[in-house]
Amino acid sequence: MSLIHPIQAVVSNRSGELIFAVLKNVIIAYRYDQTNGKYLEMGKWEDQFSRDEMIKIAVVKEQARQLAENEEKGIKKSKTNEGNTIEKKHDAKIPVPGPGAPPIYSQIRNLMISNDETMLLACADSDKSVLVFKIETLNNDNCLKLIKRQPFPKRPNAITITEDDKTVIIADKFGDVYSMLIESPVIENIDEEFEPILGHVSMLTGVLSTTNNGMKFVMTSDRDEHIKISHFPQSYIVDKWLFGHKEFVSSICIPSWNSNILVSAGGDHGIFLWDWIKGEKLDEFDFTDLVLPYINENHLAPDRFQNEENDLKEFAVSKLVSLPNNPYFAFFVEATKLLIILEVDQSTYKMKLLQKIVLPYYITFISTFSDDKTMGFNISLDNRESGDKDFVKFIALDTTSNTFSIKEEQSDEFNTSIVNSFSKEDSIVKVELDEVYPLYNIISLKKHGEHYS
Amino acid sequence: MDLRNPNRDPNSRRVLYRTNKEENRKELKHVKIDESTLAQEGKKLDLPKKRFYRQRAHSNPFSDHQLDYPTSPDDMNWSKLFPHYYDSTTGKMTKDVTIADIGCGFGGLLIDLSPAFPEDLILGMEIRVQVTNYVEDRIIALRTNHAKDYQYQNINVIRGNAMKFLPNFFQRAQLSKMFFCFPDPHFKQRKHKARIITNTLLSEYAYVLKDNGVIYTITDVEDLHNWMVKHLEEHPLFERYDKEWEDNDKCVQIMRNATEEGKKVERKKGDKFVACFRRLPNPAIV
Ligand SMILES: C[S@@+](CC[C@H](N)C(=O)[O-])C[C@H]1O[C@@H](n2cnc3c(N)ncnc32)[C@H](O)[C@@H]1O
Repeated sequence: MSLIHPIQAVVSNRSGELIFAVLKNVIIAYRYDQTNGKYLEMGKWEDQFSRDEMIKIAVVKEQARQLAENEEKGIKKSKTNEGNTIEKKHDAKIPVPGPGAPPIYSQIRNLMISNDETMLLACADSDKSVLVFKIETLNNDNCLKLIKRQPFPKRPNAITITEDDKTVIIADKFGDVYSMLIESPVIENIDEEFEPILGHVSMLTGVLSTTNNGMKFVMTSDRDEHIKISHFPQSYIVDKWLFGHKEFVSSICIPSWNSNILVSAGGDHGIFLWDWIKGEKLDEFDFTDLVLPYINENHLAPDRFQNEENDLKEFAVSKLVSLPNNPYFAFFVEATKLLIILEVDQSTYKMKLLQKIVLPYYITFISTFSDDKTMGFNISLDNRESGDKDFVKFIALDTTSNTFSIKEEQSDEFNTSIVNSFSKEDSIVKVELDEVYPLYNIISLKKHGEHYS
Repeated sequence: MDLRNPNRDPNSRRVLYRTNKEENRKELKHVKIDESTLAQEGKKLDLPKKRFYRQRAHSNPFSDHQLDYPTSPDDMNWSKLFPHYYDSTTGKMTKDVTIADIGCGFGGLLIDLSPAFPEDLILGMEIRVQVTNYVEDRIIALRTNHAKDYQYQNINVIRGNAMKFLPNFFQRAQLSKMFFCFPDPHFKQRKHKARIITNTLLSEYAYVLKDNGVIYTITDVEDLHNWMVKHLEEHPLFERYDKEWEDNDKCVQIMRNATEEGKKVERKKGDKFVACFRRLPNPAIV
């Protein structure tokens, strides 16, 4: 029996009224209607860029490059008996995946809303591009209008937008960081024309931009335990590194209630809180004991790193977020049902557990909403076993009791809308159980030092 | 014998040699060598033989090797590498490393720089294990054989990937000189990101260099030379020194002939292209 693909990412505007979710290679938008408590579908966008097309472009390009290289080296072209050079003219061959080849997943990643809430940003795996949508709230047919699609040389792993909403900063899988003006035209020849503004020789996992004391900075995190802070736009001046992680970093954030603070997490079993201006670690919150009861067979280390007892478990923080106006952080460990909310003491900068919330399924994503009326978290779940229920849970703060709780009714309304949007059998996001995209990739960042020489 | 990996044959001469040297290294690497050591042992150490340390020419700078590196420069224990400059009463080093030879290979430059800069601590960084072992053994032998006048106490080598972990070892503005001698050329266009001098890496090198510190480059590959010059000239924090400066600088003289690669090029009568750059002060932050 087929199911609607679980949601990989969900974000909302500050009020929580506009919601965007990713299912497979589709982005869908809803608006919450205060009057009847229902979610109305506002728009949908499917990445139709064919992977074959991509590969074809790459193959043609590579052939041209090799030809040019050979020419340079003066390698003679093959000649016919009459001495004419043979022009190779056959079409570029597209490599066909052989039997047993891993399936290709063209995900949409890095969903985020601009500061002024007029744009939605995302990245498409298919052509390694950054997507910029204008959010046309008055367009009843489809509020998502693609205004820019800029491919990059390597897959963008993380993006952020500057405070003025003019520039997107992109951190890629191979360690390069690019800056792209939203207004500028699309660059066709990315390899030649795009120069990185800074880089790590490592896979990048996070990027932030912030202003402090009139100066702008870019923070980048990587698989080699590094968090680097560079000036912006003078990104060739490194301000400092924040040293302390012993495992990869997967998630970094700067709370808007104190822009001197940076919080980071990843393969270490602690949340790190830094004064990044001073370059000092102020606190580390060890979550091992909290999380251990939720660690399961999905966390068994891969065979080649497994121990003899076959019980080595590896786990890591998938995502960490901070509420903009209150000293609260929330995070989850990949492939667990547990959401952990921490509170930071604003005079001592020590973190303590505020609340644990157990969700019905493993968490796949977390984001925040917060305005003067309400605040909390948008959570998506790996609901593949649920029979098309429980796609998301909204969690909001009750200010009188100062506790967070799941807004069940509202969440159910949203789930109903998802089912209404995608229930048709031929819907693009309908899949069989074994076709669900891989949702747990973070732990694969863990290094095992497998290269000895 | 395991044909794919001759090193696995436990009786091969290379393995026996390496095991023997490794024991030696473990014992001598971190001890303070002085006259008493010499008197005690009463004999000289043979210099290591290069042929026993052969290794594949390239190591991928992108993959995650089994590397040992400090979590931060504050955690680096320099006393083990430079025991002679460790003050046991204060528990502190009396000097910091100020000169780095990046991709030092078999260590020829370190050995020639040692007497030329007696007041500096000089560190070679090399990614290949066996090559690093060779340099370690070479320095142990030299220190032992010159224990009487404490020679070669100011140089040492570390196995590390300079493209990833340089900032784990050095503080901001700690270095006054960095050498890039005959770096791997990575000819193919697609592999240019693997080169040890790129726009983005230069910003990290600038961070560990102090104002007016120097980057030295030398290569026999003209393409690579042009490429390094282009990227260094484009970088806002570096400015090239002119020919006259090069001709009067003692490091340039040493670097031309000290390294193993340099000697090879000399034998083949190849060209050597030199370019040196000054670390400019940071401009005002906008
Ligand atoms: C061609 S050799 C030159 C060695 C020496 N400088 C000389 O002139 O004889 C380049 C050396 O750089 C080392 N190397 C390459 N990438 C490196 C990296 N990322 N970190 C440290 N060493 C590296 C290689 O292993 C090799 O030994």
